Amino acid sequence: MRRRLPIAVLVLALLGGAVVVVPVLALAARVPWGRLLDTLTGEGASAALRVSLEVSAAATVLSVLLGVPLAWVLARAQFRGRSLVRAMVVLPIVLPPVVAGVGLLAALGRRGLIGGWLDRVFGVQLTFSTAGAIVAATFVSMPLVILAAEAGFRGLDPRYEQAAAVLGASPGYTLRRVVLPMAAPQLVAGAVLAWARALGEFGATITFAGNLQGRTQTLSLLVFQQLQTDPEGAIALSLLLVVVSITVLVTLRNRWITGVG
Amino acid sequence: MPLRAAIRVRRGDHVIDVDLDVGDDETIALLGRNGAGKTTVLEVLAGLLAADGGHIELDERAIHELPPEQRGVGLALQDAMLFPRMSVRENVAFPMRARGEPARDARGRATQLLRALAPAVDPDADPATLSGGERQRVSLARALAGAPRLLLLDEPLAAVDASARPALRALLRDTLAAFDGPSILVTHDPVEAMTIADRLVLLEDGHVTQTGTPAEVRNHPATRYAADLVGVNLFEGVLEPAESGAGTLRTSQGDITVAWPDGLPFAVTPGVRATLGPAEIAVHAERPEGSPRNVFHGVVQEVAAGASRARVRLDTAPPLVAEITSGSIDRMQIAVGRPVWASFKAVEVRLMVPGNESDTL
Repeated sequence: MRRRLPIAVLVLALLGGAVVVVPVLALAARVPWGRLLDTLTGEGASAALRVSLEVSAAATVLSVLLGVPLAWVLARAQFRGRSLVRAMVVLPIVLPPVVAGVGLLAALGRRGLIGGWLDRVFGVQLTFSTAGAIVAATFVSMPLVILAAEAGFRGLDPRYEQAAAVLGASPGYTLRRVVLPMAAPQLVAGAVLAWARALGEFGATITFAGNLQGRTQTLSLLVFQQLQTDPEGAIALSLLLVVVSITVLVTLRNRWITGVG
Repeated sequence: MPLRAAIRVRRGDHVIDVDLDVGDDETIALLGRNGAGKTTVLEVLAGLLAADGGHIELDERAIHELPPEQRGVGLALQDAMLFPRMSVRENVAFPMRARGEPARDARGRATQLLRALAPAVDPDADPATLSGGERQRVSLARALAGAPRLLLLDEPLAAVDASARPALRALLRDTLAAFDGPSILVTHDPVEAMTIADRLVLLEDGHVTQTGTPAEVRNHPATRYAADLVGVNLFEGVLEPAESGAGTLRTSQGDITVAWPDGLPFAVTPGVRATLGPAEIAVHAERPEGSPRNVFHGVVQEVAAGASRARVRLDTAPPLVAEITSGSIDRMQIAVGRPVWASFKAVEVRLMVPGNESDTL
């Protein structure tokens, strides 16, 4: 017979579960099913959905393109201050998003460190542009790719790379044919998590790129805006984001969330 | 010499200082205990480890400054290290593809190599589904696929089932004999070394303590380690059919009777090597009666006594080294100069026949 757990632990566990589950269930309970389709296909919603998809897709591609090489350097190169670099590049995970937005303004805003120069030389302004929203989403989601990819690279037996080198493969060929295929599950997991994070991005985006319909207004921003004028519409849009999140969870169930097959 | 190497590596208190010269078509076995520096030497040759000094010349080209991929070396490791997420054929084609050969040519040549070295393996199989012996076969094919000038094998049989070992050992021997260049086999198994290599290089604590043919090392072991290591009896000669199921191995130092190997045509076969464990030999004070086919008379030349067992060297024809208990030494009053009889069963002799994969070894 199984030993019974202490009642106090069970009660706390139940409460813990409720904290997470109730808001999501409440959302489903309050969905205005009758006008769901109208809300989701309305002009503002479809524009926000388009911006969300564009921004999150572009941010994911950028995160993988820049984050995977960085993870490779962190996993394999020996240099002083490596742990400091690792701490710095994953900082956005714990940084309040609004602070991230302020930081991006300081760097890339019209009067920012690099932004001023970009404006003068190329006439490029990232603030209040879709590109700016992409930069903000990349900033917060790339660390997830870096963490997952570095864990993947570290998990590889370095003797595979040694064998490949002795067999005549250049470091680049080894990376392409041996290392990346072997680390693929972690890279995919990192990319999916990064995409989910980019899709939900709010604080850094609204601070740095603003809330312009059709350009920087993502679904998350639209939900926040709708809440003040049309709470039912906000709930309908929220449901859409919940569905997307659950899909991500199910996709990753076996390789990332549970940690075991 | 196609390979001339002087390797110096310092690791804390340990110093590895090894000079190696290996001829074309020559196979040397680098023998030593764990920690003697065998694998370090191999890693330096392959370019995976930077030496603290010395040089490596392959075909009169200095290669010690080159990265591994430019050295022209083939490597097969104990754990095969076949790439996952690639089929067996893609693994074998890898060295050719890495050098930029077209995919079709590389795949064709990989298929040929696999047919020769691993005929039982499906080229489209996932390497993870192969047995240890099959993995080594594929690993050997992959090492050869890049047309290397130097072949390095690190304990290729260590991770292989005992049942798959004889056939693989025979394959290794034939492959290395056919390989057109120097090859180095790292092992701690004397049987493997003596049956595959032309020359043994014994490594102790980072230094070469003896080098010579298996027979030379066996007849004149330079150190205690060498004596322990090659305590195995080795015979080389022509195998001739005797009565049904049996053969006579005629060596330059005397004849022995052996069981005829399965699958070998019942005909005179030259170039046969045979080994016999010293513990398989019984030593008697009087001429033994009963079934043993091999009975020899000789004088004790040397007794090396351990705590519970002793090795006795006899000047029989052929010469034998027997391992017996200390109790037997006392009971038979065995000492240098005493005449004794030695016997062993024909089936205890393990044969290595060139080109015959069903060796009894």
